[in-house]
Amino acid sequence: MNTSIRKRWSHYLILVVAIIVINFFLPRLLPGSPLKSLVGENPGDLTAAQKMGILDAYHLNDPMWKQFLYYLRDLFALNWGNSYSKRQPITDLIISRTGWTLLLAGSNMILSTLIGTALGAWSAFRRKKKKDLSLVISTTILDSIPSFWMAVILLAVFGVKFGWFPIYGAYSMWENHTGFHKIVDILHHLALPLFTMVVTSLMSFFTTSRYSVLQILNEDYVKLAKMRGIPKGRITVWYVMRNTLVPVFTLFMMDVGYLLSGSVLIETVFTYPGLGTLMQEAVKARDYPLIQYTFLLASLLTIAALFLSDVLYDRIDPRLEVQEDE
Amino acid sequence: MNKKIAGIGFGMLILITVIAVLAPWLAPYNPYTDMTATYLKPSAEHLLGTNDIGQDIFSELLYGARTSLAIGFLSAAISIVIGSIVGMLSGWYGGIVDRFLMKVTAFFMTIPFLPTVIILSAFTKPGPVTTSVILGVMSWSGTARIVRSQILSIKNKEYIQTIRGMGASDGYILSRHVLKELLPFFMYRASARVRAGILSESSLSFLGLGSPVVKSWGTIIYYAQAKNALLTDAWVWWILPPGLCIILISCALTMITYGAEEKIDRRLEHS
Repeated sequence: MNTSIRKRWSHYLILVVAIIVINFFLPRLLPGSPLKSLVGENPGDLTAAQKMGILDAYHLNDPMWKQFLYYLRDLFALNWGNSYSKRQPITDLIISRTGWTLLLAGSNMILSTLIGTALGAWSAFRRKKKKDLSLVISTTILDSIPSFWMAVILLAVFGVKFGWFPIYGAYSMWENHTGFHKIVDILHHLALPLFTMVVTSLMSFFTTSRYSVLQILNEDYVKLAKMRGIPKGRITVWYVMRNTLVPVFTLFMMDVGYLLSGSVLIETVFTYPGLGTLMQEAVKARDYPLIQYTFLLASLLTIAALFLSDVLYDRIDPRLEVQEDE
Repeated sequence: MNKKIAGIGFGMLILITVIAVLAPWLAPYNPYTDMTATYLKPSAEHLLGTNDIGQDIFSELLYGARTSLAIGFLSAAISIVIGSIVGMLSGWYGGIVDRFLMKVTAFFMTIPFLPTVIILSAFTKPGPVTTSVILGVMSWSGTARIVRSQILSIKNKEYIQTIRGMGASDGYILSRHVLKELLPFFMYRASARVRAGILSESSLSFLGLGSPVVKSWGTIIYYAQAKNALLTDAWVWWILPPGLCIILISCALTMITYGAEEKIDRRLEHS
């Protein structure tokens, strides 16, 4: 047990180190002068002395290994440099954005898991067939809708046309709501992006839960329990749902990695002020330092989430002993 | 039932492929060079109107099928080739090769997909080939794991053991017999990967990371959104159709996988 946790620690640690190293080398692999990636597309406007000054300030005239040490120092000191498109320290920008992403992506994770699993189980209890044409058709279509496209369409219909929901942002910028009104305002802004995300991500939970419930319903111990006259509700909860938890949680674990991925697209459509929008704005402005550090943070958050669910996995199902290497 | 669904899926895919190949002859205009008035509403001359620089949107859609399919197939090919080589070596040789390759696979599995793809695209010159390579390199890990487990079971089959005992070389067995056994699996995997490639390409293009000089369904939506098509009714003919095209081809590919899944299941039953 201890060795397996240590082994997983090392796996994630290697991953973190690799990402930090990639993050160092990527901008240095860019063709052309590093100035372009530091101050924008027009380094030609600067005088030679200014250019040297900038190169010195970023230690770019030092040997590679020294640059790497400086990079590590700045990384851990949270001194991530400035975004030239936004003219702000990158750390400030990122800190103010992370909360919104966690709110959106976190609520989506919880809601899509719960709703998807419940719907899947419900459909399995209702029709105990494995193949169901109308279900196959609807899941195929739902599964094929690109999330960003659905977001755009919902925004056009319910945001612009009907005006039921705000069309951008996470809160009303020009009004000063407090207390309860503030919460309502934030939820109002959250509704449409969250709805899109939930609808486009619950499909996998639906199919997994439906399939595993159908399978468990055919197990001998469930049939025996029925024969023994155990109440239906009790069988549903203790015999069936408890065992569906494992495949559902496995899926949850796999999806945690995509948590931020989905968020990038949806946030962009709704101009939701999270990390995803920041990353997209950075890409659009070719603001390389900002792209780099949003990537770094997004990756670290993803890895942290994966690690957390990995550790939780053992708690959920005690039958799962992590296999030692042969 | 699955066979029928797969058949319909195949039919749809072939139809879309034919349209993509024949796009220059089918399209009423050349969406790259023919430019007329901008922001036209749909009419007999322009079925879906024109975009912000006066290109015919319907022709853009037909040409977009080429890009989406090309990137889908190329990225799938790259991902499956890498995945199968890694999986085969890993499963066939075992031992330290296996342990090392599976470490690398686990690494690619946990690295966050979209942020990594975004940063790689941002730091390279955009183009269909670059995009396909990035998507392929970032998506082979699942294939590698499945191929490895398939190899492990094939490896111990009696006839493989027999020809091995008769002195057949590894290269011969792997290329002549093991590949043959894996063929239905590749079919299934390929359509799933092509589908994922097409969806990822459209997401990337939608984020503005596609090549600005190549038409794809994602880039059409990107420009429509950038030009605020949402605020007018233009989204109905500018954003809706490319999305429906993506859904159509994605459905076709999913339907093909249904057929292949059944084939694999049946083989598992008989073995």
